[in-house]
Amino acid sequence: MDKVRIVIVDDSPFLISLLRNILTEHGFQVVGIAGTREEVIKVVEETRPTLVTMDMTMPGTDGFECTREVHKIDPDIKVIMISSMLDDEIVREAKENKISACIQKPVEPDELFSTIKRVLDTEELYRFLKEDSFVMFKEAMVNGFGKMVKAPLTFREDFINTKEFKSKGLTVIIGIIGKFSGRLLIDLSKETAVNIVSELSNKEAPDKEDVMIAIAELVNVVAGNACSYVNMKEKSLGLRISPPTVLFGESVHVSAPDYKTHAVIAETKFGELLLDVGFTRGEERWT
Amino acid sequence: MDVKHVNPFIESFMSVMPQLGFSSVKKGELSVKTQELNNSGVIIIVGIVGQIRGNVAYAISMSNAKKIASTMMMGMPVDELNDMAQSALSELTNMLTANAATCFAAINVTLDISTPTLLYGEDIVAKMSSNQVLCIQLFADDIPIDINIAFEK
Repeated sequence: MDKVRIVIVDDSPFLISLLRNILTEHGFQVVGIAGTREEVIKVVEETRPTLVTMDMTMPGTDGFECTREVHKIDPDIKVIMISSMLDDEIVREAKENKISACIQKPVEPDELFSTIKRVLDTEELYRFLKEDSFVMFKEAMVNGFGKMVKAPLTFREDFINTKEFKSKGLTVIIGIIGKFSGRLLIDLSKETAVNIVSELSNKEAPDKEDVMIAIAELVNVVAGNACSYVNMKEKSLGLRISPPTVLFGESVHVSAPDYKTHAVIAETKFGELLLDVGFTRGEERWT
Repeated sequence: MDVKHVNPFIESFMSVMPQLGFSSVKKGELSVKTQELNNSGVIIIVGIVGQIRGNVAYAISMSNAKKIASTMMMGMPVDELNDMAQSALSELTNMLTANAATCFAAINVTLDISTPTLLYGEDIVAKMSSNQVLCIQLFADDIPIDINIAFEK
């Protein structure tokens, strides 16, 4: 992880030089320094660092205000706050301001290094879960469907879901909980559900209860397998799933969460199913 | 499923709602539902894992959901359940469930929660994961909110 580009925000030349030495010794590249709100905006705008170390107290401003300025420029820039005072109240405010971690002064080189490493690793894990894991959910759906219903399944093109949609009739929701949390949702029409369950149970006309239980189980298998694949790839995500909830109705709208989700339509001989999976870092554990 | 598992949700409601601008909170009836839940309006599902595994479904009628969203948004009129109102309600259930999780921790039950999923419509039938669902009705400024709790044990 060398050549990570860092901006130091501090008003004390002594601390700047100290931090610069620690960071450079650990293979990071210090691309800028700033000591006022105006300098923070200018330097971050110009250098677009990966990470900023943020002093808490500065003349005419504070670390929270400057963090908000950094995130106005690029919300993906990670901020690590360095403060002589650290209590629950400051930690709470730091979280509210999307600060990734806090370190208490005096700065220990090892602690600074391991904190930066943890923040960057977490970022990579989140990116993996958000962007790359969807393929595993699709794989689990193909496998689950293949094993349980013994029918092939083909996907249309993936898309990003940001809007609410009207359910086709039956929606199954499973909460996903781990280092980051989210949810999986599969939506299908009543006819598709009945077709699938007829095949599964060898019954011409399964009753409503059977349909709900069987579809819930199918979705449970898909979500469980998918999260196992993801955990195998990235153990520290530690994903676990809540039991399925099945909802149905003629005019049920499923609202878009506050984060984007990956979605795809699966085509089967029984009809279409929508797979929709998303994660957010809202509930992320801090340490 | 244990009736004492309802208390953290009541405690959470009593502490969170006043912070969001509701001046009175009170407890209503506790009931056990064995069948599917049938609701019109807004239903928000939050998943739970940990020492307890299950789901919580918050159910509010459409007109009451708008009133709650409006109070949360400092009295801004909410004529339709737009993105902002949906987001406010999702956040509300996130806060209520997260606070309940903190109350569970106080009785040595650790659990984690998923993100909420909000659905709305007429005659929504929900089948939750356990055969028994505990339903506690709670009121904020006399607006009823049903909290349906389905835990696996």
